[in-house]
Amino acid sequence: MYRVQNITQAYSQAPWRKQLQWIGLFMLALIIVAMVAGIYLSVSAQASTAGREIQIMYAEMEKIRRNVEDMETQIAYLVSNSEMEKRAGELGFLPVESDEIFYILVPGYIKPGQANLAEPPGSTLPSIPTISPEYTQSLVDWLSERVFDPASPLIQEVEP
Amino acid sequence: MNNQSSWRYTTLGILLTALAVFIVVQMLRIQLSPQAEALRDKGELYSGTWRTLTPARGQIYDRRGNLLAGSSTVYEVGVILAEVENPSTIALAMNAVVDADYDGVFAAASTEPSAEAVYATLARFVTGEQKQRLEQLSEEMNAAYGDRRDPSRPSLAGITFDPRLQRSYPEKDLASNILGFVNWEGQGFFGVEEKFNDELAGSPKRVWIPFDPNRVEEFPQVPQGTSLILTIDRVIQAEVEQIVENAIKESGSESVTILVMDPKTGDILAAATSPRLDLNEFWRYGEIFVDSTPFNRVVSETYEPGSVFKVLTMAAAIDGGAVKPKTSFLDTGSIEVGGTIIRNWNGGAWGPQDMLGCMQHSLNVCLAWVATELGANKFYQYMQDFSVGHLTGVDMAGESSGRLKLPGDEDWYEADLGTNAFGQGVAVTPIQMVMAVSALANEGQMVFPRIVLSMITDGRQYNTSPRISGTPISPKTAQRLTDMLATSLEVESSVALVEGYRVAGKTGTAEIPTPFGYTSNQTNASFVGWGPLDDPKFLVYVWLEKPTTSPWGSVVAAPVFRQVVERLVVLMNIPTDQMKEQLLEGQ
Repeated sequence: MYRVQNITQAYSQAPWRKQLQWIGLFMLALIIVAMVAGIYLSVSAQASTAGREIQIMYAEMEKIRRNVEDMETQIAYLVSNSEMEKRAGELGFLPVESDEIFYILVPGYIKPGQANLAEPPGSTLPSIPTISPEYTQSLVDWLSERVFDPASPLIQEVEP
Repeated sequence: MNNQSSWRYTTLGILLTALAVFIVVQMLRIQLSPQAEALRDKGELYSGTWRTLTPARGQIYDRRGNLLAGSSTVYEVGVILAEVENPSTIALAMNAVVDADYDGVFAAASTEPSAEAVYATLARFVTGEQKQRLEQLSEEMNAAYGDRRDPSRPSLAGITFDPRLQRSYPEKDLASNILGFVNWEGQGFFGVEEKFNDELAGSPKRVWIPFDPNRVEEFPQVPQGTSLILTIDRVIQAEVEQIVENAIKESGSESVTILVMDPKTGDILAAATSPRLDLNEFWRYGEIFVDSTPFNRVVSETYEPGSVFKVLTMAAAIDGGAVKPKTSFLDTGSIEVGGTIIRNWNGGAWGPQDMLGCMQHSLNVCLAWVATELGANKFYQYMQDFSVGHLTGVDMAGESSGRLKLPGDEDWYEADLGTNAFGQGVAVTPIQMVMAVSALANEGQMVFPRIVLSMITDGRQYNTSPRISGTPISPKTAQRLTDMLATSLEVESSVALVEGYRVAGKTGTAEIPTPFGYTSNQTNASFVGWGPLDDPKFLVYVWLEKPTTSPWGSVVAAPVFRQVVERLVVLMNIPTDQMKEQLLEGQ
């Protein structure tokens, strides 16, 4: 009996060592949790920044579209019929009369037809770009996707 | 640890556990309570905002791609009430720069800010230049009086600008009757703006925009409204409008309308009328179009066409076999049809005539006889085939159908056959006349007039095709009548003739009916003609309403036709008949 007690005592750890182990394990868990939280915060911050940039870009897109429309109209004002007539007059041009015109036959000449301002039906148009999920997914979304749909590609291709 | 301490720890544990259970239960109760849903909804409301994405209104171009209707940026000027320092300065500036009502602006800017009153609109549709001026004023005030918050200093603090697109017409009043206009609210009125309002406006979409950047979602693509390419050529339109203005001055007419159409495709190359409106100042509509003046006489106003209608009567009679060009007729100066005596325009008797003479001298008596020879049933069947009294379906708002009384109608009498034959007692629109006469200029095939050449939607251009409405007469009849009318102009040395080009045409002078019959001296003078005859490229209809210098179409309308054709041959690059022959010989 005495011998058993001696052996047990010889192989059992000192109380202070046990405490150290527990503290170590606790600290390890704390560090892991802090790391995960840090990564999560960092990724979330990045996603937020990207989201805000996207919102700003949408506003910018709208502004640019409006500017394009506005400028097209401004150009149309500058080249309107009355303006062009005025400019032609200032440059010394006069309206031509029918008896001042001499016609010649130009083989292969094709008279300009109607305006073509867009692609005809059936032609391939460039697809509209969409936001990559990397910019909208949260870390939790991404983790759950990895867990529940591991077959999905890590990086999703987006139409250019 | 003694028993007493153990009891205390156990009690504390139980209490803490009970507290934890209570908290959990309470959390569940709050989460599952009926009010929770409302609170969540309210929370959701504050997490973002609903926004309506309104697509830019589609543009309108002429057939060469020149922009006729586009969009310009305008601004809504408002104030954030909590930031307003000096309402008086704001009211003064708004009054000086955008001519806004001082009292109204002052009252709006003086509103006490509250949860309900955050923002007030001061003026809408402020131009870019006005916005710049206001911004400049604000900067100058800040520089002069400092930018610290002080209610006593002059300041435009609180003023905001919200940009939006507003319809703009670079060509101002050019083709205004065809285009129509768009009001402040984005609603199209008249012309193609009204006819295609839904297509041009596109479909607005309402989207939820979260404030949380982590919830940012892709904006739905809101395609621009459908754009239109019209058949008109702005240069031809401008020239024809100038001729309209000149014709009004020279003839003293109440209004002049000129329609130019390609008789093979039905493309309306120009449709000019008076008055016209600078579409950028659409609010002046009531000032310009007084006393129910139609916005677009081309499609809206019906009138008795008079002698130009004789081309249809003669075409029907020749096609129906009732007469031939050489058929002779003895004009005694009057004819009775259905108990009504019909006389010639000058009341005289023109003696023996063939059909060419009848058309050349525009004899009412002869044409009434021709109609009786054809018979009422056949005559009206032909007129219906010519689509007289029916809508043409042209894509401009406000088209009138006119009126053609038919046998069997309550108000039709046998005498109508005689008067209808020379264009009296029948109401048409200019566009109807042009459509009907296109059968003569296009080898018997009548085309639908069209104003929209193409539509651009979702980045693709869809072209329309010319459409044949029917074949009311044979190609042979069309050719015979064309020759008759061309010869008729040449024999009488009409002022409608254009040097170097063979054209066919007919004048018209119609008395304007009053409630007491044809008692006024006022007339509708008109001319319809087409050419060049070997390959018609244009069909021109001229209508002068109540000319004062002369009532006759041959005097006031025929020269206008010539002026139009003289410009058309240049603008459409049509060589003279002789030059064309030389070119073909040289091939």
